[in-house]
Amino acid sequence: MGQAVEQTMSDLEIWITIGALGVATAITRSSFWLIGHHITIPKRVQEMLRYAPACALAAIIAPDLLMEGPKVLQFDTVNLKLASAVAATVYYLLRRNMLEMILFGMIVFTGLRICLS
Amino acid sequence: MPVMTEPTLPPAALVRPPEDQALWREGVRVGTPTLFGIGAWGLVVGIAMVKSGLTVAQALGMTMLVFAGSAQLAALPLIAASAPIWVVFATALVVNLRFVIFSALLAPHFAHLPWRQRLALGYTAGDLTVAMFMQRFPSEEPAAGKLSFLKGLLIPNWTAWQVGSIAGIFLGSAVPAEWGPGFAGTLAIICILVPLTVNKAALCGVVVASATAVLAFGLPYKLGLLAAVLLGMLSAMAVEEGWEKWGKRWSKP
Repeated sequence: MGQAVEQTMSDLEIWITIGALGVATAITRSSFWLIGHHITIPKRVQEMLRYAPACALAAIIAPDLLMEGPKVLQFDTVNLKLASAVAATVYYLLRRNMLEMILFGMIVFTGLRICLS
Repeated sequence: MPVMTEPTLPPAALVRPPEDQALWREGVRVGTPTLFGIGAWGLVVGIAMVKSGLTVAQALGMTMLVFAGSAQLAALPLIAASAPIWVVFATALVVNLRFVIFSALLAPHFAHLPWRQRLALGYTAGDLTVAMFMQRFPSEEPAAGKLSFLKGLLIPNWTAWQVGSIAGIFLGSAVPAEWGPGFAGTLAIICILVPLTVNKAALCGVVVASATAVLAFGLPYKLGLLAAVLLGMLSAMAVEEGWEKWGKRWSKP
């Protein structure tokens, strides 16, 4: 609103912003916890919601595995994270041990990174 | 120390039915392997907060009050650029929209609790917690120890996140970015995702959600993430119901 572009937020403004962000977390995460009994979700929508966690988890990790930087798809070059993630997933399918899988994946990733750089 | 003449009994609040204790332990056991990844993620967000120019006190306040990694990461550049507070607030709301879906999934299990407790449980339930809880209790029907199981997931998850985040705030730039600490979080998610992808419908949802997330990554307010969840759910549902039935439903309203 006509303020100088260079101006930075004051300490108080940052704290107010942090408070507002906390409210944003509460509004979204606790929404149905607090007002859910006033809302009836249709059966079909309920059935659809069952797939939400899997879809959200996939959507969170996909950019990390399939993208390098903001836009570029890296299917043509060696993608260290994707290769390490595939190796770690195979390891997990065989051993079913999450902590071992994470350590295995990080070791593969670090090994590839050091060898190929 | 005074000598006790009578045996000390634990306070009544601490005496829980055995199934509650068993489910609490099960929750802790199920969640424990993810904690390393959660902590690594907290570390990434902690580093990002101090690198964006927040003071240590502000960064600590943010991790304690906000407790939402993706919203924090989205807000940091806006704060650094002195965006109006309502813009930062609206951005965080949109980034967090998937949690509305999660709350609709989780809340019906605990509708009987007092509102303060519901608020607190919802506030602390992140992506992985919801996925692990729904895997264990797919049905809304009351079952013994549900709350204990959820707490067994929530409390260690919150602690691991905060430990990682606080470590990131104090270590700051001491952790090189090329180590890829966030990758540990990605790997933890894969482990939770694998058992959720049990049938064709879920697999289709996961593939569509992944593709959407990548293709729509450039959208503002992380709307690509929300679009990915919505399109993923719709595709999974379409596969579950079968294309034929789906087509009939839309052609004959």
